[in-house]
Amino acid sequence: MKRIENRYVLAVIYTILTLYALFSVLPFFWTTLQSFKTPRQANSRVPLFIFEPTADNYTDLWLKAIPDDPVFVTLVLLAIFGLLTVIALNAKRFPVAPGYVYLAVLAIGFFVLLQIPTFVRIERFYNYFINTIIVTAGTICVSISIGCLAGYGLARYTGLAGVIILVVALGFRSLPGLSYILPYWWFGQHSGLYDTHILLIITLVAINQPFTIWMLRSFFMNIPKEIEESAMVDGANRLTAFISVIIPIMWPGIVSTALFTLLLAYSDFLLVRILTQSNWTLTVAISKYAGGEDPGHITLAAAAAVSAAVPIIIVVFIFQGQLVKGLTSGAVKG
Amino acid sequence: MNRRIFFMFMSPSLFVMLMLMVFPLLTSVWLSMHFITFRNINEPVFVGLTNYVEVFADLKFWSAFTFTMTFIVIAVPMQIFTGFLIAVLLDQVSRRIRGIYIAAFLMPFIVVPVVGTLMVKQLFESGGLVAWAYREIVGSRFFLTEQSVKTLILLHALWAGTPFSLIVFFAGLQTVPHELVEASMIDGATRLRQVRHIMIPHLRSLFVFIFLISIMDAYRVFDSVFVLTEQNPVYKAEVMMLYTFRTAMSVTRLGKANAMSVITVVMILVVLLPFLYRTYKEQIEER
Repeated sequence: MKRIENRYVLAVIYTILTLYALFSVLPFFWTTLQSFKTPRQANSRVPLFIFEPTADNYTDLWLKAIPDDPVFVTLVLLAIFGLLTVIALNAKRFPVAPGYVYLAVLAIGFFVLLQIPTFVRIERFYNYFINTIIVTAGTICVSISIGCLAGYGLARYTGLAGVIILVVALGFRSLPGLSYILPYWWFGQHSGLYDTHILLIITLVAINQPFTIWMLRSFFMNIPKEIEESAMVDGANRLTAFISVIIPIMWPGIVSTALFTLLLAYSDFLLVRILTQSNWTLTVAISKYAGGEDPGHITLAAAAAVSAAVPIIIVVFIFQGQLVKGLTSGAVKG
Repeated sequence: MNRRIFFMFMSPSLFVMLMLMVFPLLTSVWLSMHFITFRNINEPVFVGLTNYVEVFADLKFWSAFTFTMTFIVIAVPMQIFTGFLIAVLLDQVSRRIRGIYIAAFLMPFIVVPVVGTLMVKQLFESGGLVAWAYREIVGSRFFLTEQSVKTLILLHALWAGTPFSLIVFFAGLQTVPHELVEASMIDGATRLRQVRHIMIPHLRSLFVFIFLISIMDAYRVFDSVFVLTEQNPVYKAEVMMLYTFRTAMSVTRLGKANAMSVITVVMILVVLLPFLYRTYKEQIEER
């Protein structure tokens, strides 16, 4: 397609785009800046852009006491996680399937995270971080496992029941979460599951299930039928064909769906807020910094917001291709 | 695939959805006909439709309803218009620069809503950048009042809601057939006329889709309103979800809260049913 050549028109286009981009990133920029200030600097009459940065807000947020030899502890932790990252990046060179390497790396990394409280005195914020990992990982595993089976079934079955399930699921997806969560709260109180990870995981799985099956189904539809049919001619039954032939070529779709499940589970506020008393996730813990009279709350809130945003930005940065693909593939068809 | 195998594959997911979506909705209807607080959580008292009568006579409910509707009417067109405008402009620039812009535009979308709201709020705190600019330009301090909190909520909706429609429109624009655009250029059509007569008609179904999703999202907006009004309940910038939440958790009138949530579900279904019917027909044709 021919591009615009008029220089003035181009200048206007770039100006509008740049202004909108600034509008998008301004809150991030300002919050990050505030999080490295002392409360006094943060409350100054004229906004400060050049100042001596301090990490006090972050240490106040995460640690009860700074360890005796902070440099050594930081270096050891950096070395461990650096090594794990290197192993993950070179997963294909190991003699076993890369999937096992990723799994091992994740397991070791999580184990190290669990061990940190034994030698560093941490603040409760760290516990919320661990809770978030457990709930998010649990939700992804359960949701994708049962979602793959359902999505595959829906992609291959042509009967009326499949269409009805899909449309009804879409309807349920559109209802506000609160309509389910109030009854969940009531169940939770009765069953004694209130304030546990299990309740959070099963309810998050249920709430995201309609979305998961729609998305996975659209990915399964792109896989030609002939692939599993040839495996079935060779004597495999449908389940074996599904696990050994279809799943290995479905990984891109699974990763894409898992990424969206992660975003949804990580950001869920209402459900976790209502179904927990103390086992909060980061999102709920952060809402506690929304207001207050203490002058230090602005910088602490800024540090909390940045701390919660960084993990998700890292994950999205690693999987950015899948994110845009997932956003555009499902939506444009519908 | 035959029916039996289909249901075998479907059963775990179907079980979860039946137990944790269909069943809770029915429980919600049942709870809405009882008087329940935290004290008599184990012995709900049946009161029939009293809760519904109470909700409809509740002035606060109507004020929350009015603000929710105002929010939808202002925020949704704003998000769609900005998203479409930026997507069309983005389509005109060269491929290499697009990536940088898209990364910046997607930031508000990927960040957790609660965190994003906190970040926007930081700009308006006493030492914040926008609060300072406001003081310099207007001459008075920036105060959180009912009006300014409502404006903030709308501003946040524009900031956080636009990226979705932007990215979907942008992906849609890539599917506009080249021949059409080139033919129109030979006929001497200007850019604006191309947008009006080629792109908008081509993206019609996408407009319907985004319109619907945006209305649904605006209808159930909760996180941003919660953060912006937390500890400032005097500002009364409540939306329906927040009022329901407060009725259940602060006032502990579970029955009444469930009645409100049933009313909400019915209202949403009225908007949704034509769309669901359309999807049903499409799927029937496709299979």
